[in-house]
Amino acid sequence: MTELGTTTARSAPSAATAADASAVSLHGVTKRFPGGKGTQPVVAVDDIDLDIVDGEFFSLLGPSGCGKTTTLRMVAGFEYPSAGSIRIFGEEVGLKPPNRRPVNTVFQSYALFPHMTVEQNIAFGLEMKDVSRKEIAQRVGEVIELVQLQGREKSKPRHLSGGQQQRVALARALVNRPKVLLLDEPLGALDLKLRQAMQVELKQMQEHVGITFVYVTHDQEEALTMSDRIAVMDGGQLLQVGTPEEIYDHPRTRFVADFIGETNLLEAVVVDGTTATLTDGTRVRVDNGQTSGTTVTLAIRPEKLGLRHIDSERNAALDAVTGRVERVTFLGNAIAYEVRVGQAQAFDLEVRQGNAPGIEHFAVGDEVRVRWVPSSASVLED
Amino acid sequence: MSLVDTTGAGPSLAEDSVARPRRTVDRILAGNAWLVFAFLYLPILVLIALSFNDNTRVGVWTEFSFRWYGEMFGHTRIMSALRTSILVALMSTAVSTVLGTAAALSMERFRYRGQRAFDGLLYLPVIIPDITMAVMLLLFFVQAFDIVLLVTGVGLSRGVGTITLAHIAFNISFVALVVRARLAGLDSRLEEAAADLYASRWQAFRRVTLPLIAPGVAGGALLALTLSLDDVVIAEFVSGAGTTTLPVYVFGAVRRGVSPLINAVSVLMLVGSILLVVGALAISRRRVET
Amino acid sequence: MSTIVTPPDLDEQPARPGRLPPGLEVKAEKAASRRGLFIGLPAYVYLILFFALPLAIVVVYSFATRSVTGLTVLGDWNLRSYGRLTDPLVLRIAWRSTWIATFTTVVSLVVAYPFAYYLATRPPKVRAILLVLVMIPFWSNFLARTFAWRLLLSSDGPFVRLMEFVGYTDLRLLFTPTAVVLGLVYGYLPFMILPLYASIERLDHSLVEAARDLYASGWEAFRKVTWPLTLPGVIAGSILVFIPSFGAYVTPEILGGTGTTMLGNYIGRQFVGTASDWPFGSALSVAILFVMTIAAMAYFRSGGKNL
Ligand SMILES: Nc1ncnc2c1ncn2[C@@H]1O[C@H](COP(=O)(O)OP(=O)(O)OP(=O)(O)O)[C@@H](O)[C@H]1O
Ligand SMILES: [Mg+2]
Repeated sequence: MTELGTTTARSAPSAATAADASAVSLHGVTKRFPGGKGTQPVVAVDDIDLDIVDGEFFSLLGPSGCGKTTTLRMVAGFEYPSAGSIRIFGEEVGLKPPNRRPVNTVFQSYALFPHMTVEQNIAFGLEMKDVSRKEIAQRVGEVIELVQLQGREKSKPRHLSGGQQQRVALARALVNRPKVLLLDEPLGALDLKLRQAMQVELKQMQEHVGITFVYVTHDQEEALTMSDRIAVMDGGQLLQVGTPEEIYDHPRTRFVADFIGETNLLEAVVVDGTTATLTDGTRVRVDNGQTSGTTVTLAIRPEKLGLRHIDSERNAALDAVTGRVERVTFLGNAIAYEVRVGQAQAFDLEVRQGNAPGIEHFAVGDEVRVRWVPSSASVLED
Repeated sequence: MSLVDTTGAGPSLAEDSVARPRRTVDRILAGNAWLVFAFLYLPILVLIALSFNDNTRVGVWTEFSFRWYGEMFGHTRIMSALRTSILVALMSTAVSTVLGTAAALSMERFRYRGQRAFDGLLYLPVIIPDITMAVMLLLFFVQAFDIVLLVTGVGLSRGVGTITLAHIAFNISFVALVVRARLAGLDSRLEEAAADLYASRWQAFRRVTLPLIAPGVAGGALLALTLSLDDVVIAEFVSGAGTTTLPVYVFGAVRRGVSPLINAVSVLMLVGSILLVVGALAISRRRVET
Repeated sequence: MSTIVTPPDLDEQPARPGRLPPGLEVKAEKAASRRGLFIGLPAYVYLILFFALPLAIVVVYSFATRSVTGLTVLGDWNLRSYGRLTDPLVLRIAWRSTWIATFTTVVSLVVAYPFAYYLATRPPKVRAILLVLVMIPFWSNFLARTFAWRLLLSSDGPFVRLMEFVGYTDLRLLFTPTAVVLGLVYGYLPFMILPLYASIERLDHSLVEAARDLYASGWEAFRKVTWPLTLPGVIAGSILVFIPSFGAYVTPEILGGTGTTMLGNYIGRQFVGTASDWPFGSALSVAILFVMTIAAMAYFRSGGKNL
C-alpha cells in the first residue's frame, strides 16, 4: 500500500512563512449568529486563537452548545467567520468556499449520499477534482482496503451498519489526501463497544496516514485517549490548550477541572508565596508566586490522594489532612471513599484507591489521614 | 399531496393491540370502508359500462358496441380539442416544472429579503378558486391585447397560447409545493458534504440535490400534467372562439344535454388520467425496488 | 495571499494584520441571498406578470362602470359594484354557497373519519394498497367523474330506476341541491381522507393504551385522547373541502339547476353574454378571494401545510 496522504500533507505551501508552520491557525476568530427577532446575536465562537501543528491529532472538547461544531464548520468553509483570520498551512481561507479548501470533513451523521454506492461515495471527491479514471479506481481500492470495507463496494449506505457507514465517511474523506481532516463527533452514533474499537482504529489510521486530524467531541475520555493535544471550550471561548496530561493533571480553571474527570476542589487562603491554609486550618504547599491573603481554589484528583490510618507515621514530603470515612463505594477496579475533613467548616474529599492486594481497606467511621504529593494539587485561576 | 408519500408505513400494530378497535366496531368500520370504496368506484364503472351502450338514449341499454368510440375518433372537433389539451398540458408542465423547482430551491435553501412576500405569491394560486383565477386572467388578456392592438396595431386572439400561459401560472405553485415538501425532508448536510468534496455549486446540485429530489420533481410534474388536463374553468374563460381543450368541449356539450358520445369522451379522459397515475406509480415503485 | 482578505474599508475598525475585517461575512451572506433570489426570480416574475397583475386588474375593474351596452367603461370610478354585494339575490346565493359547502364538509367528515381510522389501523401492506385505491379517483379527471353522477342521477339513470323498482316513483334527484352536495362530496372526499389519515396514523397509539390503562372505556378514550389529538387533521381536512366547495363552478353547473346557482356560477355569468357586468363580477371575485384567503390562513394556522 502506498503511504496515503503523507506526501501532500507534508509539502510546504508556497505562501507559508516561518510563523505559519501550523496546519490550521485561527486568530481572533469570532462567529455571531443573528438571534431571534429583537434579541442579541448569539456569539457561538468568541475571539479564539489557536494553532494546530501539522500531523497532530487535535481535539476540540467541550459541553453541548459550546461552539465546537461552529469552529469546525468555519475551518471547513460551511460558515464564514464574523471576524478574525483562518489559515490552513499559511494560506488565508476565511471566505473561500468549501470546495476550494484543502480539508475534508467527516460529518457527525456521516452525510453519505444515499443514492450512491459505497464506491461512488468514495470516488465523488476525486471525480470532482477530475482525477483520471484509472487513478480513481486505484485510490478507491486502496482506501477501501484501509478501512476494511472489501466486498461492500456496491452496497448502498442504508444497507450498512453504523460502524460501516462511519468507515465509508472516513474513506470518502481520506481518499482525497486532505491536508487536514475535520471530524465532528464521528463516533457519536455508535454503541459503546464499537466506539471503543473505532477509537483505537481511528488513532492508528491517523498515525498511518500522517494527516492532521481536528476532532470534535464532548466525550472527555475519548479526547484524553486519542489526542496529542486538546483544546477545552466553553461558551464559545477557549479555556485551555494542552496535552492530555497537562489538561488532566493541571487544569487551569474550575470548569476544566470539573469537566474532565472527577476532582476535589478545596478553598484555601494563601499565607505566603508557597503555603496556604485550608478551611480546616491545615497548612499545605502551593505553587510559587501566589499573593498572600488571597483565597484560591485547589484542584486535586481523587486517585492522587492516599489514605492512611490516623495514627500512622507522617511523611514530611507530603501534605495531609485528617478526617473520618463517611461512605465507602466498591467500584470493582477501585474503592471510593468519602472523607469528612474538619469540624466547623467541614468539607468532603473523594479518595480513590486501587483494588490491589496490599492496599489497605477502610470502613465507615474510621479516622484517617488523607495525603498527597504537593505538586499534584493545582491552583486554579478562578 | 405528493403521490410518492402515500406508501409511508408507520409502526405496525400488533394483532391484539387495544389501539385496534374491538370486533363489532371493527366490523362497522370495515363496512363503512367498503361503502366508501363503492361510492368512489361505482360511478366510474357505470360510466364506463354505459359508454359501450349502442342506444342513443343514455339510460336505455340496447347492446354492447364500440359505436360511440368510433364516432369520437372520427369527430374532428373532439380530436382537435384533444390535441390542444395534450399540447397545452405538455408545454405548461415542462415550463412550470422548471420554474416551480427553481422556486422551491430558492425558498427552502436560501434566506433573503422579501422572501415572505414571494412565499405568499407562490401559495395564492393554490388556494384561489378556479373561477376567480379564470376571471382575473380573462380581464388581463383582454386588457393586454387591447393595449397591444393600440400600440402595435397587431390583433392578438385568445387560444392555445393564452391557455398555456394560464396553466403555467397555477402549475408553478403546485410544482413548488410538492418539491418543497421533498426538499424540506432532505438533509442539507448532504449538499455541504458535496461542497466539502470539491463539488462546485452546480456539480453539487446536479450530482446530489437533483437526484435526491427527483421523485418530488416527478410528482410535481405529474400533478401539473393532471391539473392541466383537468382544468375546465380557466381554459373556458381564456380560450378563444376557435380553439378549446377537451374538458371545455365536454363541459359545453354537457350543458346542452347528455349524449352517448360525451360518455365515450369522458371515459377517454378518465381512463387516460388513471393510466397516467398508475403508470407513474408503477415506475416509482420499480425505482424504489432497484 | 488571496485577494478577498484585502479590507475594502479600514476606517471603522482597524483590522489587525492578516485579519478579516468585520463585515465581509455579511457580504458573503448577501451574495448567497442574491443567488437565492436570482434562482427563484423567473418564477416570481412569471407570477407577478400572470397572477399579481391580473389580480390588480380585477381590483381596478371592480371600481369601474358598466355602460348600458354591457361594455366596461374604465373611468368614473365608484363603489357601486361593492354596494350591490348586499342585494337580496347576492345574499341568497352567498348563503346557499355557504350552506352547501358546510353540508358537503360535514358529510365528508362523517364518512371520512371512520374510513381514515380504518385505513390507519390496517397492517402496513394493506394500508399501502388501500391508500393507492383512494388516490386513484383523486388523480383522475374531475369533469368525467362529475359527469358520471349526471348519468347516475338522471331520470332514466340506474339510481332512479332502482328506486322506482323499490317503489319510490317521481323521484327527482338531478338538478337539486342534494345532487350538488353529492357531487361535491364525491369530488373532494380524498381532500378530507388524506389529512385525517395522516393525523390518525401519526397518533401515538400507546396514548390510547395509556387512557385504557387509566380506566377509560373505548368511547371515552376516543373522545378524550384520539379525537383531540387528531383535531388538526379534522380542521385541515374541513378547510380543504370547504374552500373548493364554496367556490365550486363545474359541479353546480352539471348537477345543479336554476335553484342551485352558487357564487362561482353567478360570477361566471357576469362575464358572458349580453347580461354581462364585468365590474360587478370583479367585485364579487374580490369578495370571494377575501373569504378564501382568510380560510386558507386558518388552514396554515392549523399546521396543515404538510399534507
Ligand atoms: N446556524 C445557527 N444559527 C443560530 N445559532 C446557531 C447556529 N449554529 C449554532 N448556533 C448556536 O451557536 C452555539 C454553538 O453551537 P455549536 O453547534 O457550535 O455547538 P457544539 O459545541 O457543536 O454543541 P453540540 O455538542 O451540541 O454539537 C449554540 O448556542 C447554538 O445554538
Ligand atoms: Mg456539534
